[in-house]
Amino acid sequence: MSVLKIQNLSKNFGKIQAVKNINFTVSENSVFGLIGRNGAGKTTTIRMLMNIYLPDEGEILFKGEKIDSTFKDKVGYLPEERGLYKKMKVIDTLLFFAEIKGMVNQKVKKKAFEYLERFGLSDRANSKIEDLSKGNQQKIQFISTILHNPEFIILDEPFSGLDPINTDLLKDIMIEMKNEGKIIILSTHLMDYAEKLCDNIAMINEGEIILNGNLKEIKQDFGKGRIVLETDSDLDFLKTSRFVEKIEHFGNQFSIQLKNESEHQQFLLELLNNKVNIRKFAANEISLHEIFVQLAGNETNEVKNVK
Amino acid sequence: MLNKKIIGILKRELKDKLFSKSFIFMTLLIPGIFVISIGIQALIHSSEDTDKHQIVIFSEVAGLEVHLQKSINTELKNDFQYVVDVREIQGTQFNKEFNSLKPLLLNNSISALIFIPQKAISDKRVSYYSKNPKNSQIHNRFSGIINQAIISFYFEGKNLSEKDIQFAKENVQYDELKVSEDSIVESGIGAEILSFIFGFLLYIGILFSGQMVLRAVVEEKNNRIVEILLSSVSSNELIIGKILGSTITSLAQMLIWLLPLIFVLSSSWYLLPPELIVSVSAWQWLYYFVNFLIGLVTYLGLFAAVGSIFDNEQDAQSGMWPLMMLVMIPFFIAISVPNNPNNSIAVTTSMIPFTSIMVMPVRMGLVDVPLHQFLISLTVNFITLILIFPISGKIYRIGILQTGKKPNFKEVLSWIKMKNL
Repeated sequence: MSVLKIQNLSKNFGKIQAVKNINFTVSENSVFGLIGRNGAGKTTTIRMLMNIYLPDEGEILFKGEKIDSTFKDKVGYLPEERGLYKKMKVIDTLLFFAEIKGMVNQKVKKKAFEYLERFGLSDRANSKIEDLSKGNQQKIQFISTILHNPEFIILDEPFSGLDPINTDLLKDIMIEMKNEGKIIILSTHLMDYAEKLCDNIAMINEGEIILNGNLKEIKQDFGKGRIVLETDSDLDFLKTSRFVEKIEHFGNQFSIQLKNESEHQQFLLELLNNKVNIRKFAANEISLHEIFVQLAGNETNEVKNVK
Repeated sequence: MLNKKIIGILKRELKDKLFSKSFIFMTLLIPGIFVISIGIQALIHSSEDTDKHQIVIFSEVAGLEVHLQKSINTELKNDFQYVVDVREIQGTQFNKEFNSLKPLLLNNSISALIFIPQKAISDKRVSYYSKNPKNSQIHNRFSGIINQAIISFYFEGKNLSEKDIQFAKENVQYDELKVSEDSIVESGIGAEILSFIFGFLLYIGILFSGQMVLRAVVEEKNNRIVEILLSSVSSNELIIGKILGSTITSLAQMLIWLLPLIFVLSSSWYLLPPELIVSVSAWQWLYYFVNFLIGLVTYLGLFAAVGSIFDNEQDAQSGMWPLMMLVMIPFFIAISVPNNPNNSIAVTTSMIPFTSIMVMPVRMGLVDVPLHQFLISLTVNFITLILIFPISGKIYRIGILQTGKKPNFKEVLSWIKMKNL
């Protein structure tokens, strides 16, 4: 069920059109990926979602109602560039951010300590923020984003600066929250994470949505006739192959577009006949990274809507 | 107007500002600096010139020497700063004497050479030679001494009693009386000190809290806390909470500074020397604080707006000069008011936006300001606040979310016209 509906949203700053007539929906129990290059319009869109900016046109509906200032209490926002008051104590920081979300009670304090425990920071509750390492400050920032139990969470590049163990911890919590029925918007340009975590995505380029839909379906659609091949053999002979449309290579991994998507078996045979030493062969596969480069790298602004 | 969110912001501001070590430190430091600066001034004043001075007086008037000597002995009885050499000469000798002493004058061995010509007896004109003929200290000292000697000499043998001559020697003295609606009181240095304290504290109070707000806004913008804050509160709630916090802090500081003064001036427990007694009514104190409150909110809004334009402190410090002018010009007008608190500049600036915040309280300390002028001043300041604050708020709202290129003045003006934000 779609809970958040963004309709015909536009925003201009003077002559600059930051967001041009965008539409997308976000459903419950899902992680929604908002991806795009720097300056594509992600932050402006997010600011409108949080009622920081008023849209020039269009509207945002949450559970069928237009959002207003009370919506802010339901949102948890982790901005891309982190910021905390350096001189404030950890526990005071957490309680302050909960308080301006309208939460003042003992329960919040208990919960704050629970989260600190979980992130291994319970002994730092009375330390000043400036005495924490960067990674730990990040964790505090994340706790302050979710402490007031928001229904709707926006995470802008949440993994930057975290070590692999904390990254996993954060992913676990995200999946937990998703299963609790919360809506999560993940804004990132790291395609790996988006690919692993998102159920649906919208790709923004120059203020417009150029791709929107279910990630699996998008990948299937874009992956038709795509072969991922890992080998250290010489593939020069493929330049004249009748099956191949285009070859791109990244080190010893090749991405090959076939002329006819149903010919991958014949193509594999051709590789074997030419004694190619295959370490990995995957048919009809494409990474989100490749889709991103293909779309955002080009100037095509046609909206590709996948049902 | 006050909702839970504003209170949340306000609580943090107060914790950060009012209940901080730096608040206690600054609140105690400022009167300290004030006392020290007055002390240094007094020191410079009193020890203006403690050097020994060699003075040579040539008199062409036969018989004046005795009177000069007598006059010097009485006037400089306890003053060992001056060594005076009095010589009677013939008028024709003066040039020779002068030329021989000239090198000593030039190397400062002799501070001054005074020549009393014969006709000084009728026109009281004497010549004063020195490398620094404007030294008022020596001037004042010796014009009195010479005048008395000439008077004694003039009336000698004119059958006047010593008492009469003494009377003739006396100078006229002023008893300074301050006229106000309901009383005529002796005016002392007290009013001047009080008005200076008023001006100084308003200036320092506004400047400090303004700088503090500016720094806080720049910091929040710089480390992007503002993004998180705005995902929770509206920019109006944020600026109201912040300015309220700083205003309360600053008012508390002003109260701490002035309480001892209010106490001393209004209680009869302390016997102040008469020249220090100043009467300030309860109404005037109230006016002082209301005026300060209005001024604070006006200025703090502007400081917040200027802070929001910049994302680092260096840029903010160099970009805030127009605002600094708006604080400093009123202060400089205010401290010049004691020269003549009722001239047209003082009266006008005490009733126009911005300057009135500092000039009016200073005038109030010195003269009886008519009630209608107080009311005009308050009204003008209040209207200024009502007009300026929304503009500050708008610049703030847009500024704090702007990143990247430093905006120019034209762009900031265009923000004011923007809608839908």
